Amino acid sequence: MTLILVAAMILLPWAGALFVWAAGNERPRLQNGLAVTFSVAAGICGLAMLPRAGAEVVLNFPVGGAFGDFTFVADGLGVFLAAVATVIGSLAVIFSVDYMKGEHQLGRYYAMVLFFIGAMVGLVLTSNLLLMFFFWEITALCSYALISFNNDDPKAVAGGMKALIITQLGGIGLLVGALVLYAYTGSYDIQALIANPAIVPAGVLAWMAFGGLAAAAAKSAQFPFQTWLPDAMEAPTPISALIHAATMVNAGVYLLARFYPAFHGVPGWTTAVTLVGLVTALLAALMALVANDLKRVLAYSTVSQLGYMVYAVGVGGIYASQFHLLSHSVFKALLFLSAGAVIHAVGTRDMRQMGGLGKQMPLTRAVFIIGSLALAGIPILNGFWSKELVLEAGLMHGPMWAYVGMLIGAGLTAFYTYRMVTMVFYGSPRSALHGHDAGPAMRVALIPLAFGALTTWLLAGPFSRLLSVESLPMHHIEPENTWVILEEVFSLPTLIALLVVALGLVCWWQRERLAGLGQALKGIGWAAEHSFGFEAVNRAIVGGTQKLGEALRVTQTGWLNWNVFGILAGLVVVLIVVILGGR
Amino acid sequence: MNLSVATLVFVAVLGLLGVGLYALLATRNLIKVIVALQILVKGAMLALVLAGRLRNAVQEAQSLALTVIVADTIVAVIGLTLAVQIRQRLGTLDIKALTSLRR
Repeated sequence: MTLILVAAMILLPWAGALFVWAAGNERPRLQNGLAVTFSVAAGICGLAMLPRAGAEVVLNFPVGGAFGDFTFVADGLGVFLAAVATVIGSLAVIFSVDYMKGEHQLGRYYAMVLFFIGAMVGLVLTSNLLLMFFFWEITALCSYALISFNNDDPKAVAGGMKALIITQLGGIGLLVGALVLYAYTGSYDIQALIANPAIVPAGVLAWMAFGGLAAAAAKSAQFPFQTWLPDAMEAPTPISALIHAATMVNAGVYLLARFYPAFHGVPGWTTAVTLVGLVTALLAALMALVANDLKRVLAYSTVSQLGYMVYAVGVGGIYASQFHLLSHSVFKALLFLSAGAVIHAVGTRDMRQMGGLGKQMPLTRAVFIIGSLALAGIPILNGFWSKELVLEAGLMHGPMWAYVGMLIGAGLTAFYTYRMVTMVFYGSPRSALHGHDAGPAMRVALIPLAFGALTTWLLAGPFSRLLSVESLPMHHIEPENTWVILEEVFSLPTLIALLVVALGLVCWWQRERLAGLGQALKGIGWAAEHSFGFEAVNRAIVGGTQKLGEALRVTQTGWLNWNVFGILAGLVVVLIVVILGGR
Repeated sequence: MNLSVATLVFVAVLGLLGVGLYALLATRNLIKVIVALQILVKGAMLALVLAGRLRNAVQEAQSLALTVIVADTIVAVIGLTLAVQIRQRLGTLDIKALTSLRR
């Protein structure tokens, strides 16, 4: 049964992708139906798999040769992320039925979405590092295709290219890790490495650990690779929800959490992870503060919240990190989909043109506010509990400076969230925009997510059992009762954190009086609007590469004599190396 | 005696390769380029046969040499066809003049 479910979670979306594509764009109703059916079926398999998590290999294709065995292990971590990918993914597909109405190339859209979901499930369930790399790259390619879905829009194409190039750059880290693992152990088995990291020499393990961190940072849009995610906002909004909540960015945090038992002994690694999380959380929060594009604010908030998860891994709080990932998936999918309903209704993403939309779209406003409160970490929503657990782990096991930084980040989160909600839904309308409330398919996706944002924290206990010793023997997570876990949150540090969050809200209410302070911090605001110079660095790298290519053009003369000379020179070099090496 | 034959063949290989490479480096005439390639490939073929003889793997060496002969013939035929076409259309056989695909 486990075997069938694991295979179904990967193959159902992939089969759906083929069927939708074969159905043809002239039958959009059939395409909608097929996409929803296959993704929901995969989501049901994902949920059914949750109680069956175990540490043993459930599926094994002995491919042989240099590829090793393609093994799949349905342990707690993998099953949890697979469930997130399939369930949130299916909700995004349902939402698309309304959002993508009238789109002419639905086949391409749904096929890529379904392919994406299946690849993400494969990525988190496989225990072959090389196969994981393959799935990793498939998700990168799908995200590229979907971000550039409107391929007649140059901004969308540029955003897709940027996402592809940056995530591929990080993917090299994973590939190097896989090849090194094979070179030293003769297999790609992740479980063997995690159980005994000493099977590779310490120096090599350090390379793998930092390569893994680079891969994770590129995938999860962490410092210094955070720039691709905001540009990915050119995608249709359900795709943003898919990338931010269900697939893609979770893969980086998953990688860090998966390999934590193997890498945490590498000197400097946990500090580096903590630092990456801290810097990302703060920078992204500051950028969210000054952005005026609704989706960009949400994108920066994703980057910032992912910073919290990475930080939690860095201080050893794997459970807190994954629990925050669960909360974040739910409330960020909710926020993106309700933002999509707003954008679909009013036709712009610029928050300066919105305002007062709450009266026209009461349902959207209600669910958006639920998601926002969860993002800001207001009790009793799921984001509150998980963020407090992250901060708790940071206070207990991490350095104090990082904890203080994360507290400031929590205050900033509350501040920008409140700014976003008031700019979109309250105040007087700033332009003659007319909204209509979310359509029926949108509601089907929004209401369960809103319910989830209110309730998933109740799953703390079952979630700890899912990640416990039985399925993840090396992560040492104690299975606890829900109340025991949540009791930890009732402590003085939580009160301080709540005070900081409240301070963030008060700052927004009193922003007129704090104008002087705002003037003083103008420099930071200006830097944040210019993404702290990272865009300039990106442009410089791209420009430099192009210049180098142009400069190297002189070597391409096209003259046969010159090329033969090059071949001869190469031959001489090879001969010299052979002679020297022969001694 | 055996050794000296091998040495002789080795010298011939080096000679053929040297002549072929030198011609490729020096000539600009397309027909001469093709002739130079032929000389070069003959040297390579002889080297294969010699290697087979020294390693007691004559059959493998012979089959490889036959494959090279086939490939080499095709190269010569297509090269000469192109040369004829180029001469007819461009009025020259100078390889430096063939720049229409360069930017």
